[in-house]
Amino acid sequence: MSIIEIGPVFKRTDWLIIALSTSLTVIGIMFIYSSGINSVGLLVSDEYKKQIFWAILGFILLIITLLVKPKILMDYAFWIYLGFIVLLIYTRIAGRVVNGSRSWIGIGSYGIQPSEFAKVATIIFLSKYLSATKHEPNTFKRFLLSVLIAGIPFLLILAQPDFGTAMVYIPIYLFIAFFLGINGKYLAFTVGVSATSILFVLLPLWQNLIREEPINILRIFYEAPYVYYLFALLSVVFILALLGHIYFKKRYYYWILFSIIIIFIGLILGLAAGKILKEYQMMRLIVFFDPNIDPLGSGWHILQSLTAIGSGGLGGKGFLLGTHSHYRYLPTQSTDFIFSIISEELGFIGVLLINLLFLVLLFRIYMIMKSTKDMFSLGICSGVSSLLIFHYIVNVGMTIGIMPITGIPLWFLSYGGSALLTINIALGLVLAIGSRR
Amino acid sequence: MISLIDSKKRVFYILALVFIFSSYSIYLFYIQVFKSSEFTNRAISISRQTEILPSQRGEIFDRNLDSPLVVNNDSFAVLVIPAEIPNELKPTVFNKLAALLDIPLLDINKKIPVSYYRMYQSIEIANSVSQELVFSIAERKDEFPGVSWQSKPRRNYLEAGSFSHIIGYVGEITRDELKILFNKGYQSGDIIGKSGIENQYDELLRGKDGRQFRTVDVRGRSVNQPNLDVIPPVMGNNLVLTIDRGTQILAEKALGDRIGSAIVLKPATGEILAMVSWPGYDANLLMAKGGNNYFASLLNDERNPLINRAIQSHYPPASTIKIAMTAAILEEKAFDPAERVLCAGEMTFGDRIFKCHILKPGHGRLNLQQALAQSCNIYFAVVGHEKLGIERIVTYYRDFGFGEATGIDLRGEASGFVPTPQWKERRFNEKWLGGDTLNLSIGQGYMLSTPLQIANMLSMIVNDGIIYKPHVLKEVRNQETDEVSFSYSPEILWKSSITKETFDQTKENLRSVLLEGTARYPLANKVVQIAGKTGTAEVGLSDRWHSWFVGYAPYNYTDINDVIVVVVMVEAANVWEWWAPYATNIIFQGYFAKQLYEDAIRELKLTTTVRIQAGRIE
Repeated sequence: MSIIEIGPVFKRTDWLIIALSTSLTVIGIMFIYSSGINSVGLLVSDEYKKQIFWAILGFILLIITLLVKPKILMDYAFWIYLGFIVLLIYTRIAGRVVNGSRSWIGIGSYGIQPSEFAKVATIIFLSKYLSATKHEPNTFKRFLLSVLIAGIPFLLILAQPDFGTAMVYIPIYLFIAFFLGINGKYLAFTVGVSATSILFVLLPLWQNLIREEPINILRIFYEAPYVYYLFALLSVVFILALLGHIYFKKRYYYWILFSIIIIFIGLILGLAAGKILKEYQMMRLIVFFDPNIDPLGSGWHILQSLTAIGSGGLGGKGFLLGTHSHYRYLPTQSTDFIFSIISEELGFIGVLLINLLFLVLLFRIYMIMKSTKDMFSLGICSGVSSLLIFHYIVNVGMTIGIMPITGIPLWFLSYGGSALLTINIALGLVLAIGSRR
Repeated sequence: MISLIDSKKRVFYILALVFIFSSYSIYLFYIQVFKSSEFTNRAISISRQTEILPSQRGEIFDRNLDSPLVVNNDSFAVLVIPAEIPNELKPTVFNKLAALLDIPLLDINKKIPVSYYRMYQSIEIANSVSQELVFSIAERKDEFPGVSWQSKPRRNYLEAGSFSHIIGYVGEITRDELKILFNKGYQSGDIIGKSGIENQYDELLRGKDGRQFRTVDVRGRSVNQPNLDVIPPVMGNNLVLTIDRGTQILAEKALGDRIGSAIVLKPATGEILAMVSWPGYDANLLMAKGGNNYFASLLNDERNPLINRAIQSHYPPASTIKIAMTAAILEEKAFDPAERVLCAGEMTFGDRIFKCHILKPGHGRLNLQQALAQSCNIYFAVVGHEKLGIERIVTYYRDFGFGEATGIDLRGEASGFVPTPQWKERRFNEKWLGGDTLNLSIGQGYMLSTPLQIANMLSMIVNDGIIYKPHVLKEVRNQETDEVSFSYSPEILWKSSITKETFDQTKENLRSVLLEGTARYPLANKVVQIAGKTGTAEVGLSDRWHSWFVGYAPYNYTDINDVIVVVVMVEAANVWEWWAPYATNIIFQGYFAKQLYEDAIRELKLTTTVRIQAGRIE
């Protein structure tokens, strides 16, 4: 990196991306301000000031990242990654507990969430590994190692335990693997395992809390003795299919094996998650099915959020005039539920604008992805896209009651330094790639 | 330009992006535009909290309106909003509350289970909490986060004792009561009168709670909004009773600790001045802590303290019925009042011996006046059976109001009973016999009457043929302005066509009971001239009887409004001391000399100790 480069780099930088991200950040600050106003009209929170500070710092980080040659990042990718893994381990052991997860480190009242920054580190290292091994796209080793790269931080964050943040590593992996050519079979396998394990986590909850009269046959998937019989049965089928595969070399034996392994792993992960997840986390997952099941507990949040959004109508109640949010019916409204307050005060028109800003941003990043010349850059861009898309789906989905409450922030808009810095660094990477293609 | 992404992936990715954003936008459009009004309503209703502005239940006064019999005391309910207590502090706060309010910790934990810990709704954990305790919570507010209180005035019955049967008591509405009263605007949690006046005139007393709608935030803090919706509370009415506090206390003490009852009423209007039933209960104890245990002990008490014996119990009227018999004989001219009948102490009737209370040789020869004065059973039995006949006896008894409830404004009144030949045949499938008529003529056998009905019988004599409906409510007054909104005017219950001459003669005969007859000594009284009749009812015991006395005074009244009728009924369950005449005398003495009980008995040279009588006295 040298000073001489600044001029040409700026010349080729996609300033529209910066304009979009700045617009979103400004809107975010406005509504963090709005959420700090209480029922009497007094400002009771100075979060918006802190957010302005973070925004400025984020912008500086974005420019710095933009000026760093992607090549340098590639060279140090492993060390960056390793550094954050160590940090995550340290956090797990000595971090500060916030909302039941040991996810913060810091000094005094200042703190960061390493799990946020580790997302970028994982994107960089995963992109590097997959681009370095692009000549052997279909090997199992490549698949296994790449899963491991995403899997280590995933497990460390899951152990904090921060279910929501850990989940983000799944789309990161899938996106990068999708664009950097991991065999479709392996991807199908990853998706299959993720889906089945989530299914087996939710199954007992759904049975006990929603249906109340469990369907007996489904109890074999989670209840103590039956599930062991199921494992035994699966093992027998597995061995038979394996023998069939070896001796008869028929295609369908292969797919039977494939499915059984997915179910097997899904079952184990599902059972393990059932043990790891805390009660309130379970409850949030359940409320996702039916907010009315616990209208004063976890379901309360979803109902209040929906009420705020719905009452916003087409044109909204006007900036600073949302009743539902100012009377503090919305929980954590400056972070998780920032979208609700925006929807209440700006209405559907404002919501459409936000959606459009995100969509155009993603298109601009896609333009960079399309024109990039190396696999590493493609990986980074797809990884950053996955961050943007997944957080949007889950956070907005949560506020309108179609996704479980997981505490995933909405980029640019939600209050929080770690998230804002992270996405600025991530965008800086994309812009750095874009200005050097 | 060659791209690293093949075209299939490109199309897939773009489609996925467009799909995600458009589907979210469409769903948001659905919520914000199609369903908007539904959510708007919800946003308004959830943030509008109604606060109840409690109405004050009316106070109850006696007829003199000097000081109330029932007031409302400051009392508080302690409420907890679980979500406002930090979870780690909950056990400490609950422990402190339990200790301070003197309630078991278990109760609090039962009312606030763990599943309520995130609730922003207040839960009542104790009521009837004194002002001092609430102050001590208020002083240490920081030690009790999420704890609040609400004024819940408590009924305080200043005069408990015998007043409780008249006034009754209040309690929280039960589910069964609510089923019936829901349409009248009652709600669960309402305080409702359970007996007596509190029950009878609940709708007048209770008023109507007001409501204030506030816009609140999630913590229930009100939000400044100019358009306050207020429905002001309507205060309950004050009630003025016909009861005279002094007379009530006098009658209560005159009866003393004897199972029985006493009534003082004004025959000119039907106003009840006093109504005592012993044993009674203390309405304050029912509402205090441990009230349920007290109620259970009342229910288990075999003396039935909850029964108001003056109106809810009926007994054989015994010789008091001879008042009605005298009027009947005179009016029907069935038998010459001057003609004498021989009482030999007993008579044979059919195969059984009918005895007078004076055994052989009996009263001797008696005319009507003497027979009443001496309360001779033989005379009334013979004249009743042979001259008057069962049909006319029943008709006259009915004319005097027997066998039918008086309709007094207190719940659970007994109607008494007048037997007829038809009834006996239906009931026992037996023929009405001469012996039954003999019994009916002297108020024994199947006949039953409440003390109030006995008082009414005498009222008719005194009023020359009119019984006014007895009542305890005198006036209804507005609690704030003290304006009289309703005043009870006398209401005729029974009217008889019996001539004035008959009534005058009956009164004269009743006076002779005190001058020369059975009540001469126990009712010796210098203050006022009394007329009346004793009664001693057989209950199948050999040494104890129901003791009655019904009388009125002054005998020679100039103004009917000065007259009071007193009836005292002492059950046979007590030690036999022939107390009813004495108690009546104490009441007359105290009432007309304006003396307290203590002065009255001194004046009458009576002792308060039990004076056991050797044998039966009429």
